[in-house]
Amino acid sequence: MKKNSKTAKIIVSVAVVLITAMLLVFFVLRLNRRSSLLENEGQYTCTISIMCDTILNNMDKLDPEKKEIVPEGGVMLAAESVGFNEGETVFDVLYKTARKHKLHFEFTDSTIYDSPYIEGIGNLYEFDCGELSGWMYCVNKYYPNYGMGEYKLKDGDVIEIVYTCDLGADVGNSYQGDE
Amino acid sequence: MMKSIDAFSQFHPINNFLYYFLVIGISIFVRNPIISVISLITAFLYYVRLKKEKAVFFGLFYMLPVMLLAAILNPVFNHEGMHILFYLPSGNPMTLEALIYGLASAVMMVSVIVWFAGFTEIITSDKFIYLFGRIIPALSLVLSIALRFVPRYISKYKEIRESRKLAGEKGNIFTELSVMVTWALENSIDTADSMKARGYGQEKRTAYSIYTYGQRDRLLTFWLLFCTFVMFTSLSTDMFYFRFYPTVKYTGFTPLTVFGLFVFMALCLTPVIIDKLYDKD
Repeated sequence: MKKNSKTAKIIVSVAVVLITAMLLVFFVLRLNRRSSLLENEGQYTCTISIMCDTILNNMDKLDPEKKEIVPEGGVMLAAESVGFNEGETVFDVLYKTARKHKLHFEFTDSTIYDSPYIEGIGNLYEFDCGELSGWMYCVNKYYPNYGMGEYKLKDGDVIEIVYTCDLGADVGNSYQGDE
Repeated sequence: MMKSIDAFSQFHPINNFLYYFLVIGISIFVRNPIISVISLITAFLYYVRLKKEKAVFFGLFYMLPVMLLAAILNPVFNHEGMHILFYLPSGNPMTLEALIYGLASAVMMVSVIVWFAGFTEIITSDKFIYLFGRIIPALSLVLSIALRFVPRYISKYKEIRESRKLAGEKGNIFTELSVMVTWALENSIDTADSMKARGYGQEKRTAYSIYTYGQRDRLLTFWLLFCTFVMFTSLSTDMFYFRFYPTVKYTGFTPLTVFGLFVFMALCLTPVIIDKLYDKD
């Protein structure tokens, strides 16, 4: 009886340590990829801009506490060139740019989905301007309709991150429904 | 017959319950750091009065770590706010506002825990049954039986553990728990038999209550209702509205608000004041 409980304890503690170690390794590997983004200069260039001018047409729907943080003319980030490397995605470029400018942003990186999800940029969050509001992106005026972390960039791409108040209809991409 | 703990507990149960209902309700629903801090300090003051040294131990070794943990946990998961302190390894920023909100929530959470700890001391199971016996007889009976269980089972477990040790057995949580469960099952049969013998379930049962409602109770009820009125009007005018995101902002420091805060503080300190006034009698 006594020997059994001792081995049971050993097995349980070894299992806990193993699982914790695996989780740690997994997260560290993922974090390493993020931090290396900030160092590299980039072989190619693209242009990125962040706009929230649709809010200016929907001020009545906007959360009153957020009125003071809407940037002038809805321009959160004017178009600028950013360098990137082979295989980097729209999200990587946004991440680099936001960190460089100390621009606030929040994303969730759940492992269930293939791509991080942008919840807010510059303290403007999804649903701050009505239930149909949130952030979307297009590359060369095309809305991929999948996560930023999946779109691999090519040299010369023009990224526009836009805030919609109407599920995309006001920025040129109405919701197509579940395809 | 239970010895009464302090002067406040000697008042009519309706006053005791109204007091806790107000204080806990306001603590939970008013998300204002000043209110939360007042609530925490006064809750702890009264709890120390009830439990003396044990309360200090409880506060330092249980509540403080829980509070710090809860405060740190919020900014780890919530990244809203204008003032970025630094970037977390996950890539999201840790903001000052999230930290402040975490702290405010933690204070609120711990204050509610301490209030409930005091609540269980003052509003005993017989008071609870007295209050709710007619409105929800079955539920209040079940609740009063269930509420007794936690301290009773804990002390039974300690008893089992100690007697096993004295008998020379090595401490084995599983065996001890199993003994406790066996005892609990047998005990519940005894309780059921005893209840049946005393007429529970017959519907014609009367309950004798020793609670009287006197002059002092009238005064206390009047005071509590006054506090309710003040707090209600304060809340309906949004005097205590405190903004956490995108930046921390509070515009409420008007004379009326300060009055409201003082009333809240006086409300929370009511038992302490009552004890000071009446315990000498």
